[in-house]
Amino acid sequence: MTPKMALASDSGQLHVSWAPDREQRTGVAASVLSISKRFKKARVLEDITFDVAEGESLVLLGASGSGKTTILRIIAGLELPDKGRVILHGKDVTDLPARERGVGVIFQAYALFPRMTVEKNIGFGLKIRRVPRKERKETVNRLLKLVQLEEHRKKYPWQLSGGQQQRVAIARTLAYKPQVLLFDEPFGALDAQTRVKLRREIRALLRQVKVPAVFITHDQEEALELGDRIAVLNNGHLEQIGTPDEVYNQPATEYVATFLGAANLLLGVVSEGSVEIGSARLPAAKETRRFREGQSVKLVFRPEDVCVSQDANLPEGCRRLANGVIEEVNFVGAYERLNVRLDLTHRRQTENEAPLYQVTINTPERMTGVPIMVTRPKPEANATKFKAGDRVAVGLTSFSVLANYTLARQR
Amino acid sequence: MKIRAIRHVRGFDVARPISIGVMLGIMLPLVLLPLLSIFVYGTNKGLGTFWSALVAPEAIFALKLSMVTSFWATLFNVIFGLFAAYVLSRYDFWGRNAVIVTISLPTAIPTAVAGFALLLLWGPNATLGRLLNSQGVQLMFTPYAIILANIFVTFPLAFGVIKPVFDTMSRSMEEASATIGATRWQTFWYVTLPSLRGAIVGGALLTFARAVGEFGSTILVSGNLAERTQTAPLYIFAKFNEGQIEAANAIAIVLALLSFVIFSVLFFARDWLEWESQET
Repeated sequence: MTPKMALASDSGQLHVSWAPDREQRTGVAASVLSISKRFKKARVLEDITFDVAEGESLVLLGASGSGKTTILRIIAGLELPDKGRVILHGKDVTDLPARERGVGVIFQAYALFPRMTVEKNIGFGLKIRRVPRKERKETVNRLLKLVQLEEHRKKYPWQLSGGQQQRVAIARTLAYKPQVLLFDEPFGALDAQTRVKLRREIRALLRQVKVPAVFITHDQEEALELGDRIAVLNNGHLEQIGTPDEVYNQPATEYVATFLGAANLLLGVVSEGSVEIGSARLPAAKETRRFREGQSVKLVFRPEDVCVSQDANLPEGCRRLANGVIEEVNFVGAYERLNVRLDLTHRRQTENEAPLYQVTINTPERMTGVPIMVTRPKPEANATKFKAGDRVAVGLTSFSVLANYTLARQR
Repeated sequence: MKIRAIRHVRGFDVARPISIGVMLGIMLPLVLLPLLSIFVYGTNKGLGTFWSALVAPEAIFALKLSMVTSFWATLFNVIFGLFAAYVLSRYDFWGRNAVIVTISLPTAIPTAVAGFALLLLWGPNATLGRLLNSQGVQLMFTPYAIILANIFVTFPLAFGVIKPVFDTMSRSMEEASATIGATRWQTFWYVTLPSLRGAIVGGALLTFARAVGEFGSTILVSGNLAERTQTAPLYIFAKFNEGQIEAANAIAIVLALLSFVIFSVLFFARDWLEWESQET
């Protein structure tokens, strides 16, 4: 999923592989064990458990109110859990105050000390640890160089841009060698361009300093780019935790599928090794194995995993789902987006009707069809042009089948 | 000429000089002229008279007493105001709003009532006063009573300036300090206090200015004894009653100048006091 690329920073010193480095993930740096938390009557977290490996970045992804910030504050010691333990490098720190945990927190609003210069902000952790002045100066110099703010050392926070302030905040925590870095929506207050730039810088920086990190975000793009692993939170529950590839391509729940990237969702029933959706049958012997015959399921698939074809021949590896009519063709830069209405209405075939093209959805009854979203890469879109009204056969290269426990949520 | 014609003559806005003139016309007899007359009458018998009135031992004593009692009242109220503001903006507890209202109450109470209330509590025949008397201590009609009255009357001033700064201060700054490893005291000393510098200086100046000028409560609790418990405003009142206008006027000039200086500092130094906390 994550493209392998080498990043050369401005200074030319840093050459960092972009792909997750599994070899580094040996010991466990931080663990959260069955954390539960209530605020007054509201349940904020329920039985949250996860580990962060040495040198790993874990992203807690969730909508606002999912409890992700509370988890971070509990790890930092700024909030107490009602139940559960927090372990840092094998030591139970649940009852320790924040200042004795040795974690670094990077706040969304930077939280720099306004009456201290950049240098003094970075050196604060060393000053209160009574590190000798000379040693303190060396560390501050090294960190200023690391975050490329050497020429700003004498400035006050309000004289810096948002991105620069955030880099000071990171250097300030790195100064005292934190056990784990906690980023609370670190890019929330920045503009889109700085955000992308800074997140690549931070990613490179973390590879360099090898400090385990926990990020909080509601931005899926950010999560996919920053995380060695992603934990998706919903309403205080941990929905799924896994590598970006696992979470994106094998979503465990409907929430994960719809929150992380776009997904199409169809309700169906398991029937003899396939999923029956209205009049359509999708062969899925492997995917339906864990469900019983007749069980209600959800078919979840990404827009890019749909193949469409104007003749009945779908490409190899593409399982036929149904027929449909192109409703809308949008060219959106890197790819083409199609709105396709699937014919899933159960009906008897009328006489003299050609099996593929004479479908009801091109008649006044068309609105009974089910709309799905399809994306096609540029080369494919250029090779076969579609226009609204074209009838197509629709198949899937990849999909997930999930149990239909809950009512469909808003996507 | 019609009014409409003169209203905008070549971009000249008539409303501007008229409004400024009306404003100054109202201010002049109400504020500016009384202040001016202090200086005019105080010096019209020559600077020599003014100077001798100023350096009279009684006058010097009254000024000193005012400064000293105001200083201690200011010191107490700034420290307590800081502490109270910290407690009341950091901790939520039952009755918190009632406490905030009570702290602010002395501004609204007539100062004579404040002095009377203190007498009723600490006076020689009052509840606490009798207790002190039995220990051989008398509080009322001493300089300590003046400090006590000043504290009471200026109680809400420093608190009122510092509390809003506490309220708007971002909590994450202190949380950041805690996660970095600072104790509560270190966080307060290195992080919170520097951000309050402007509010503390402003609150102190305001408290001091108010305390130096305090009259109503002081005259009741001090006994107004010359060269013992007579503050500068009491001296002005006493000399005026004795018909020694020059003596009263000399001190009045000093007090007026002092307030003028203090409020100029408050007004013009605000930017200086706050410059480092400017947002980007």
